[in-house]
Amino acid sequence: MIKRIEDWNYYELLSVERTASQDEIWEAYQAALATYRDGSLAVYGLVTEDERGLILERIQEAFQTLRDPKKRRDYDLALLRHAAYFPPKVPFRKSVGKLEIEDAPPKRTRWARIKRIFSRNP
Amino acid sequence: MDKRIWAIGGGKGGTGKSFVAASLGLHLASLDRDVVLVDADLGAPNLHTLLGVKASHPDLGDFLTNAIPTLEEAAVETPYRGLRIVKGSENILFIANLNHYKKLRLLRQLRQIKTPNVILDLGTGSSFNTLDFFLSANPGIVVATPEPTAIENTYLFLKSCIMRVLKLYMDHYKIQDLHQRMLDQIEKNSQSLYGFFKSLMESDRAYGTILYRALRAFRPCLVMNKTRDERDVLLGRSVADVARKYLLIDMKYLGAVPYDDDVHESLRGLRPFYLEHKDSAAARAIRQMSEELAYSIEFTLRTPPEIRLPDV
Repeated sequence: MIKRIEDWNYYELLSVERTASQDEIWEAYQAALATYRDGSLAVYGLVTEDERGLILERIQEAFQTLRDPKKRRDYDLALLRHAAYFPPKVPFRKSVGKLEIEDAPPKRTRWARIKRIFSRNP
Repeated sequence: MDKRIWAIGGGKGGTGKSFVAASLGLHLASLDRDVVLVDADLGAPNLHTLLGVKASHPDLGDFLTNAIPTLEEAAVETPYRGLRIVKGSENILFIANLNHYKKLRLLRQLRQIKTPNVILDLGTGSSFNTLDFFLSANPGIVVATPEPTAIENTYLFLKSCIMRVLKLYMDHYKIQDLHQRMLDQIEKNSQSLYGFFKSLMESDRAYGTILYRALRAFRPCLVMNKTRDERDVLLGRSVADVARKYLLIDMKYLGAVPYDDDVHESLRGLRPFYLEHKDSAAARAIRQMSEELAYSIEFTLRTPPEIRLPDV
């Protein structure tokens, strides 16, 4: 819920979605560099030099990882493994908007199956 | 449409709070939405001058001294259709130091004005009165300019708002002993807010969660005024990003209002800039922002507990 800068993942650091394209990552990286560069007005009066250095290092690290598709895939998998909660998948659901998914047929009990056999062959 | 109380505030003087408030009011009124502008800059009121309206009675002082019973009666017509104004009082010495009960009365009356849009033009600084007016409104808009002094004071203003929100919740839940702990930690460095919440979560998770949710419910907007180039425009985005990361608040960057020499000329002529230069880039920016806010569903009336008053 509450994280230190050190604990933020690369997507949070660059303020991009996990599905961000390479162009979006590049733009976010440039914006982050402009925000935390030496003499930036955006951090004036709030962020110390040490903190600025730390976040710049992490931003570089984030960009180096996310711009390389293989590294990014490995990183995403690592993020998923560390995720604390996965919403359970629902096997069947009613239709939502244009998506039509039918309900599963009701499961027959053993007694119902036997009755069915006898009803077919009297 | 639900009722909106818009508050325009900021940490530094001269950033253009009154200009933004007046322009927003004029724009909303031009869309046939009834608007009341309230000059809540208790120490140095001058919103009426930006609209080309002369100071006269009734004004906010008349309401606060009980000369008139309701704030509605202090709202006078302006030359612009759909726009009324509650002018600031010339009796500054009395008004600038409002006591707690008068402040609560004013806050209650602001909620009772029968107009869908009430715009508060707040004064500079972090006095409790200013902070409470800012926190009782939604959306709360912070106006800054691309200068180190303005940025520094913007962060100070936001920090003061955060501490005020947390203090109000601490008082409400009778956990005032946490207040000194918060003050001790938050003064240390920019990551201290994180440190405060971390230690609080470890010692008392329930209160930690309540206070963290209160903090996340504080969602101010930022306007960067008097921008001269693309770098200034991007600075606003950076400030909002830094506030999100270091102050843990969900700050929205509304956009930039370009610097325009004509603002000065309009002010000298006692004419509203927004109406005189409707096609200027600054007026367009104001229009875009107000549309974004007016139609946004994320802003509803939401106030901290102690300044949420029962409707009488």
